[in-house]
Amino acid sequence: MSQPAEKPLRVALAGNPNVGKTSLFNELTSSRHRVGNYAGVTVERREGELAARFDVGRAMTLLDLPGCYSLSATAEDEAVAYRELAGGELDAVVLVVDATNLARNLYFALQVRELGLPVVVALNMSDTAQQLGMPVDAKALRDGLGVPVIATSGRTGAGCDALARAIVDMRRRAAPALVPLREGDDDAREALQAFGGDSARARWLVCTTAAGTAASFGASAAELAAAAPLDAGRCSAAAAQIIAARYAEVDRLLAAAVGSSEQGARAMALSERIDRVLTHRLWGLLAFAVVMATMFTAVFTWAEPLMGAIEDAIGWCSEHLAEALGPGLFTDLLTQGVLAGAGNVLVFVPQIAMLFLFICLLEDSGYLARAAFLMDRMMARLGLHGRAFIPLLSAYACAVPSILGTRAIASFKDRLVTILMIPYMSCSARLPIYSLVIGALFVTDEDGEGAGLRRAGIMLAMYALSTCSALAAGFLYKRTMLRSPTPALVLELPPYRLPRLRNTLLVVYDRTMDFVRNAGTVILGLTIVLWALLSFPREDTGAGAGGKTEISRSYGGRAAQVLEPALEPIGQDWRIGVGIIASFAAREVLVGTLGVVYGLESEEDEPVGLREAIRDDRNPQTGAPRHTPLSGLALMVFFVYACQCMSTLAVVRRETRSWRWPVFMFVSMTAVAYLAALLVFQGGRALGLG
Amino acid sequence: MPTRALDSLAVGEAARVTAVTGDAVIAIRLQEMGFVPGTTVRLVKLAPLGDPLQFELRGYHISLRRAEASQVRIA
Repeated sequence: MSQPAEKPLRVALAGNPNVGKTSLFNELTSSRHRVGNYAGVTVERREGELAARFDVGRAMTLLDLPGCYSLSATAEDEAVAYRELAGGELDAVVLVVDATNLARNLYFALQVRELGLPVVVALNMSDTAQQLGMPVDAKALRDGLGVPVIATSGRTGAGCDALARAIVDMRRRAAPALVPLREGDDDAREALQAFGGDSARARWLVCTTAAGTAASFGASAAELAAAAPLDAGRCSAAAAQIIAARYAEVDRLLAAAVGSSEQGARAMALSERIDRVLTHRLWGLLAFAVVMATMFTAVFTWAEPLMGAIEDAIGWCSEHLAEALGPGLFTDLLTQGVLAGAGNVLVFVPQIAMLFLFICLLEDSGYLARAAFLMDRMMARLGLHGRAFIPLLSAYACAVPSILGTRAIASFKDRLVTILMIPYMSCSARLPIYSLVIGALFVTDEDGEGAGLRRAGIMLAMYALSTCSALAAGFLYKRTMLRSPTPALVLELPPYRLPRLRNTLLVVYDRTMDFVRNAGTVILGLTIVLWALLSFPREDTGAGAGGKTEISRSYGGRAAQVLEPALEPIGQDWRIGVGIIASFAAREVLVGTLGVVYGLESEEDEPVGLREAIRDDRNPQTGAPRHTPLSGLALMVFFVYACQCMSTLAVVRRETRSWRWPVFMFVSMTAVAYLAALLVFQGGRALGLG
Repeated sequence: MPTRALDSLAVGEAARVTAVTGDAVIAIRLQEMGFVPGTTVRLVKLAPLGDPLQFELRGYHISLRRAEASQVRIA
């Protein structure tokens, strides 16, 4: 009765951005997705199985291709989509088109049809087109395209059944349907001859040769040799003719299926009215400031209770585990290594989820494109795309989600510039350090009048320093190591749409889990290594509480003492050195570690009396205070610059797929931090301040 | 016949594309986005800082900087 299990069909969903492709993908698949990156590029890849409720008698793996406007490979995501579609691994393609804007959508559809894969067109948002009074004649479109056309709605799920069935029914490889060239397209005909005559591949080669991207996007050596003798001007003319011929065909199809080529104007009418406010030169900027402030508050403040709850839960687990197992090395490994490591991973989840929630809502509603439109002028001065603004802003809260948020930037080099800028922005983990140092060495509680103002002033100076440094770093990298022209802005401003929460939450979930799985492993491993550094060698195992203050004799403590000659010039001693080593886990760990070093009871976030201990710490030989406002300033400046955050490094590794960039980031930032602290301390002394 | 470029449009004004010139990658990109000869393009508005520009063509809206828009010749 049961036949041998057939291989699941591999089906790609392709289409322009903003056509509801991902929402259709979510509708068709069960909610377990595999998310990842394409090798070497930053384009996100999502895959899922056809949901069981579509009873079509065949298993199916669906692949959500990056949304793109064409396959001619002028950008990374288009190159990825082309490679996937032309790669021969697919059984069928679902072409998702926006029924309210066929005038542009059909261009890509024709291009995909030229590849000769079995194609089903999902006429998405056909209900909206109907409501706008511009219904699409699906039958006319089917006749014109020669492929099945199914009306769907990613919003309601209507048509998904029919779509799944249509995919199973039509798996025969169709003959490539090349859009006919027009009379007089002689440059095109001639150029195509160079690549063995007219074919989808030859057309791709003409367009990529004209754009100069053929080599970088995967043309073979033989193909490049064939392209070499082509005259650049003739090649551009040929590409122009091929593109114009496709658009002529689009207009023919439109006349039959819609009756007008101005169909989309109605779909945009409402959006244009909304834009009168949201991209207005005054109200638009004001609205933008409010949106950004809300997002920032969400990541910075709203995530806090959840982070606290996660920390409490981890603390509770580790307390009970310690009780159950009794003291010992194994207990310490579990509680201070494994559990603490898990905590270090999970504590980021609320902020990451919050930021992605906002970015997804903004993107799905159509506002993210407007944000880039508003901010582009400023970012272009730096040589970056308007899309780099949001990740940079959210870096004030935390670098980890911000680095994940740079996925919206299309060019890898520009994305890398942004990623390298982010850790310079003063994140929330630096706050406890500023606050400790300022409280201990600059402003005491007895200062009364004006104390709050001075505190805020010093804090603000640190934020200003970090912001200027981030901008300077971006300026420098963009012009030296990662030099590339300012990316062109060719940005669709899609119609405003109400986001669907289920969709947004699914994407947020997928991306957050991807962080936990990938970066999480590295963070966990590093936490255990760090724990070992600060706990070994052990003097006496399990002999009461004495082990805790032994931190100075641990490998980490000894390293700090060996390094003391290097710390002195920046005004620090080995105690701070231990704190710096320990704070590699997360910057705020410095505070707790100093408490341990000074042998203080640690109850709350900041050990009791730590400020006083630091203030009163004196050199026994000279009687001079060990820490002065100048050394405190040097320490704060060090922390403005130093990449004391293994989670940031783990995420950079995950996003760039190599250790090269995190290592560069760590080394360069530590060097800058040391030099800046040196400048502050020695310069201050020369001026007689310390 | 002297032609002018897309960035010379006044807000609300529309014109037909005659050709796309200049930087090859962007030229191909713009043509594939629908800036092909004969297409009507309207300048909708400028961003608050005067750049980029927002255009309407083929029933959708697109934003280009002046630099990119100057590659599109119109009549």
